[in-house]
Amino acid sequence: MSTGQSERTFEVTEDDLHAYADGQLDAARRPAVEAWLAARPERAAEVALWVRQGAALKALFDPIAAEPVPSRLKPHRIAALEKARRWDWMKAAAAACILIAVSGGAGWYLRSATWATEPASERLIDGAITAHSLYVKESRHAVEVAADDKSHLVTWLSNRLGRQIDTPDLSPQGFTLVGGRLLPALADTGTGPAAQFMYQNPTSNRVTVYVTAASTADHKPYEWEKKDGLDVYYWANDQITCTVVGDLPEAQMQTVAKGVYEQLTWRPDPAGRT
Amino acid sequence: MSDFLDEIEAAVPALRRYARALTRDIDRADDLVQDCIERAIRKRSLWQPTGPLQAWLFRMLLNIYRNDLRSRKRRGDHMPIEDMPAEPSTHAPQPGHLALAEVSRALDKISDDQREALLLVVVEGASYVDAAEMLGIPTGTLMSRLGRARAALRALTGNTEEPRLRTVK
Repeated sequence: MSTGQSERTFEVTEDDLHAYADGQLDAARRPAVEAWLAARPERAAEVALWVRQGAALKALFDPIAAEPVPSRLKPHRIAALEKARRWDWMKAAAAACILIAVSGGAGWYLRSATWATEPASERLIDGAITAHSLYVKESRHAVEVAADDKSHLVTWLSNRLGRQIDTPDLSPQGFTLVGGRLLPALADTGTGPAAQFMYQNPTSNRVTVYVTAASTADHKPYEWEKKDGLDVYYWANDQITCTVVGDLPEAQMQTVAKGVYEQLTWRPDPAGRT
Repeated sequence: MSDFLDEIEAAVPALRRYARALTRDIDRADDLVQDCIERAIRKRSLWQPTGPLQAWLFRMLLNIYRNDLRSRKRRGDHMPIEDMPAEPSTHAPQPGHLALAEVSRALDKISDDQREALLLVVVEGASYVDAAEMLGIPTGTLMSRLGRARAALRALTGNTEEPRLRTVK
């Protein structure tokens, strides 16, 4: 179809000139660009200037990459600190759980002594358990909006909660999103309505994630308990409350809860960064 | 996990260079990089091991930088401009070289968009495709920002004439 290369007129564009200056031009095009520039001294001078600009910028900034990296920028150190923080969280949660589980009646006594009225977190946990038990049994009506309409699901529920909520990706934990639904607000929680997301693994075990806007009534940061034969992880920050409910082996349940925690609790916080 | 951290570690010097070139402030630049590393570690499940990690990190750094820039502008903070060390005395400007201090000042005056693009291509040596991807813009937009950045630098350094074409690499 095309005739010989030499016969084709070569259109030299601005992009070609930049690519030439940046060493990103195809070797095959170089001779043509060079010939074009040779006939246009003004443009050639301009391209030469670009090259010198680049050399100056490299001279200014290249040395930075050779500086020793301060320890606060060492990824291994940052990861270790992060892990330690998370372990503290887990240990505190585990301690709370053992206190309640082991001391049994005494634990319940302690609860009622410590919290004069039932805290919002308890109501939210109960709400999450009720919703979990009700809907995981459903096959055709397990969710209101199915995962194949995920962008609608996310937009809708984010709007109703007044928070940007993205469904956590639990595929590393072996769970896929089934879908979600909107649930009514619970009395005395100060959170507004709830979103429930349902996940399922290949053996049809289901886990639900119950999310509300942050509570105005209660600021309990986390809770971890077994209730009605279910494992429940609850936590809250200044944006949301989140309750993960499931009936899985403990280690697996922990991995799932951790996956949700990591993805859902962290929010970009450009202004508040110190 | 350890490989992942090693790979981040390998990218840190370039991230610092880019952040410093954008901000001209060592502490602010390192804050941005630290933030970027922390996010990368927290969000590692979102990273597709098939994609280049370096590009992912630069994209994240740029997001953090832009947010930071926005909130600073909102607060009315002044940008430190002359934090940059003056031109190293060993490099007296020679014919054919641009005075580094002059280029440094000129760089401060071009738009944020243009600076981000120019530094990615010229200092970080990113390919046009990678740079466009990191900046979240089409390649055509990248090329026009690059063109405008170079024209602006040229006008600002007052260096509009000048000699014959030097060989490029």
